[in-house]
Amino acid sequence: MTTRSKAAARRALVLDILNHGALALVALLFLFPFFWMVSNAVRSNAEVLAIPVRLLPSVFEWDNFAKAWTEQPFGRFFFNSFVIATSVTAITVVVSCLSGYAFARLRFPGRDLLLMGYLGTLMVPGIMLIIPLYLIINSLGMVNTFQGVILPVAFGTFGSFLLRQFFLSIPNELEEAARVDGASRLRILVSIIVPLSMPAIGLLSLFTFIAQWNNFLWPLIVMTGAENATLPVGLTLFQTQQSTAWNYIMAGATLSMLPGIILAILLQKLIYNSIALNAGLGGR
Amino acid sequence: MRLSIVLAAAAMAGSSLFAIGAAHAQDQVNLTWQMWGDEKDTALWQSLADLVTAEYPNIKVTPQISGWNDYWTRLPVLASSGQIGDLVAMQSMRMPSFYSLLEPLDAHFASDKFDTSVFESSIIKGLSYDGTQYALPYDVGPWIVFYNHDKFAEAGLADPAMDWTFDDFKAAAEKLTSGDNYGYAVQAFDFIAAPVALGAEYFNDSDQFDLTNAGYEGAVGKYVDLVAKDKASPVFASGTNAATASGRFASGNAAMYIDGPWSLISTKDAVNFKMGVAPLPRGEGASRFITAGSGWGISAASQHKDEAYKALQVLTGPKAAQILASAGRALPGRLAEQTYWYDVAAKDVSSTRETLEYAFEHSTPFRINENWNEFENLITQYMPLALTGEKTTDATLSDIQSQLP
Amino acid sequence: MTIAQETAASTASAATTRRRSRLDAREGRTALFFLLPSLIGVTLFLVVPIVASLVLSFTNWKLLGKPQFLGFANYVRLFTADPQFWTILRNTLFFTAEYLVLNLVISVGLAVWISSLKMGQRWFRVIFFLPTFTPTIAVAIVWMLIFAPDGLFDTMMRALSWTVPGVLTDQTLAMQAVVVVSLWAGVGYNTVLFNAALDMVPASYLEAARIDGATAWDRFWRIRLPLISPTLFFGTVMTAITSLQVFDQIYVMTRGGPGSATATLGYAVYQKGFQAFQMGYASSIAWVMFALIMALTAMQFWLQRKWVHYDN
Repeated sequence: MTTRSKAAARRALVLDILNHGALALVALLFLFPFFWMVSNAVRSNAEVLAIPVRLLPSVFEWDNFAKAWTEQPFGRFFFNSFVIATSVTAITVVVSCLSGYAFARLRFPGRDLLLMGYLGTLMVPGIMLIIPLYLIINSLGMVNTFQGVILPVAFGTFGSFLLRQFFLSIPNELEEAARVDGASRLRILVSIIVPLSMPAIGLLSLFTFIAQWNNFLWPLIVMTGAENATLPVGLTLFQTQQSTAWNYIMAGATLSMLPGIILAILLQKLIYNSIALNAGLGGR
Repeated sequence: MRLSIVLAAAAMAGSSLFAIGAAHAQDQVNLTWQMWGDEKDTALWQSLADLVTAEYPNIKVTPQISGWNDYWTRLPVLASSGQIGDLVAMQSMRMPSFYSLLEPLDAHFASDKFDTSVFESSIIKGLSYDGTQYALPYDVGPWIVFYNHDKFAEAGLADPAMDWTFDDFKAAAEKLTSGDNYGYAVQAFDFIAAPVALGAEYFNDSDQFDLTNAGYEGAVGKYVDLVAKDKASPVFASGTNAATASGRFASGNAAMYIDGPWSLISTKDAVNFKMGVAPLPRGEGASRFITAGSGWGISAASQHKDEAYKALQVLTGPKAAQILASAGRALPGRLAEQTYWYDVAAKDVSSTRETLEYAFEHSTPFRINENWNEFENLITQYMPLALTGEKTTDATLSDIQSQLP
Repeated sequence: MTIAQETAASTASAATTRRRSRLDAREGRTALFFLLPSLIGVTLFLVVPIVASLVLSFTNWKLLGKPQFLGFANYVRLFTADPQFWTILRNTLFFTAEYLVLNLVISVGLAVWISSLKMGQRWFRVIFFLPTFTPTIAVAIVWMLIFAPDGLFDTMMRALSWTVPGVLTDQTLAMQAVVVVSLWAGVGYNTVLFNAALDMVPASYLEAARIDGATAWDRFWRIRLPLISPTLFFGTVMTAITSLQVFDQIYVMTRGGPGSATATLGYAVYQKGFQAFQMGYASSIAWVMFALIMALTAMQFWLQRKWVHYDN
């Protein structure tokens, strides 16, 4: 290597380090609210609102997490959120696979019109539907039940659209062969298409799960007792008529974020790959 | 002979029906009891529910607790879907909006000659609407000033007199404001309770909102200036309102704030200084204080109204009141049992008995109408603008007025 | 052709048509079977409520009591007599515009930055993505504490001797606070999306351009950006739709205040519907919101013809 290219290489290295370092700094700042949440969770309630504000508590109350857990039935909240999120995800995946396949592969009158209609429903604001949905749930006798929370949100059209896009990208030849052998459409879907579509299905599952885990207003309206509340609703239960236990709210918020954080870290590769695949098909 | 067989059969059928009827009378009746609260209170409410079963073995009351914030959002939704409980918790301030959900109690009172004078009069009135009684109270309280007794002593201030004026209050607030500490921490509701104590009215004669009359604007303006001009109190933001004043008081950063006996015990336990209470400061005229409280009513849709009435009597009876008072959960609506609260729960807080007795002696009806909820929300939303000085008090109040139906 | 051949041919084609129409019929039946679960759910839980809310918007139902048919009175009241409606509309559009632009700029910027890294890309993606997986309520509560009067933000400003009015009590700053919180919670998703799309741009294109002397700037604007424009379009449409409905942050942090500075359409529906229980009126506000979303999406689809490049 010549001196000039060595200098150039050194300069490139310095720039690289600066580049990484700068982004690392940005990322650190970005993480600050998480730090602040935990820092407030482990201090006494009086210290949360004390003036002047301290970055770290004077006394670390690590048992606030345990106390928040028992102050409200957090175990119950976790369980409720988990049941609702997994049920919605399961139903959404099954229904979307079926309808996505119909849109992608089957010809029937009005198909494109129906697809446009499905797309149109994506634009409907959720808050508009809450009142009529509650009345429907009530007339079916499902208020304050898991079914009441799960069913109305499990039939969103986004999954159908997403999987249709993905199925379209799978070559027809694979199915043709099976069709010639006399396999039914259902069999083809289950044995051939679905295994090939795991990235898209994985993505749909993940995002549906998270959307339901974080859903606030709908479970609030449908579930009437504290024992049936989901995590986001449970957080607001710390605000009583008498006072607000900010430190417990922060502890509860931390606990409620943990599953999402763990999933994001463990599944980041799946997320990236699936989004990449989707990005290739986006907008078509 | 046929006739006698028929008669015998009828007699048997009749007697079996009678037996069934009698059996039903002893049948288990399960009542749902809808309350706001949190997990800490569950044991307390359960002990009250057990009192009912002790008195009436065939009645079982199950408490159904939901969060305070959402109770009012969900109540009409529950009612319209027939999910409402048999016994329903109601606040006097929400009675005009929700009385239609409740069963009028006057007929029940007449049937067992019940006399409501055992309860404090302003809360009995508060839990009625248009002359009809809809609920019986379990707690009552006027708005009062909570103050940091230690800080008052340090600053050389005497304990507030029962009839102290706004100028006394202002002087104390200013004296106690220095550095990071404020003399006072304002909240949205202060602009309702405090101006009334100063003699103002926010209603006109037909019980509709009239926020722009000189009396109300002047009274609100006094407190606004205390925040905006004298900087004796921190500003509150519309989203944080409910929490920060009591938090700042507890952390020792604010020496006074306005609240009610319902928060006294939890606040007392959260602070590490000696607390005191005093009535709200008066204006030029005599003292007058609004009170509010909560109670339970019977839902109009209940299938077991008679049993619910029996349960209600126990739940608002002397024994229950004593339990709640000693635990500090409620200053009872029952006059005779209030002493348990003064002497047991509130004993470490100075001046509670004098303050509350003075306040009840000078109570004035708390005037509300069916748009009260919106008014409170609008106060929370708009007052911060006046408190930062961005808008004048008069402009802010007319903004609020323009949005009230 | 002879008659015999003609007959044979027409019989054959008739047979094919019959076979095809039988196949179509069978395919139609299969399609119905596949679509049935989705159709039932969509009809019951989407279509019926949509129609119901439209009907509701023509009444004055208050949840307790009987509804009364009002015709267009709610809409007339909304557009002419409601003192807050135009403010709310303006707030919603302002929030959407500002949030959309900032979200895209930041997420594209972060996406490009991450793709320029030699290592650790995975971790940066995770870090920026984290808030997306957390409940918005929890996020909003944390930020509310930060922005609360005399809270962390105020303390920092005082330490720096910057006189900044209280964020949550100042009319202009309160909306900015909502934007900041929404950005913090929302950029992660688009960042990962655009980063994935950028990584799929063939390196050969970029190499060729570099050899031809194109600067990094040129390479970005002329090659990478156009090539990811379908994904950008998808991200923009979805972000716009959700930002028009913003609710959770406002419910927790500002309750529409101070004044009406942060009152948006979504919050107004909640306020009118669940605080004042004017269900009919709230439904009419919701339909205005719906119309707005449709208009905005239509506009974006129209713009895509000019700006989005699909490589076919």
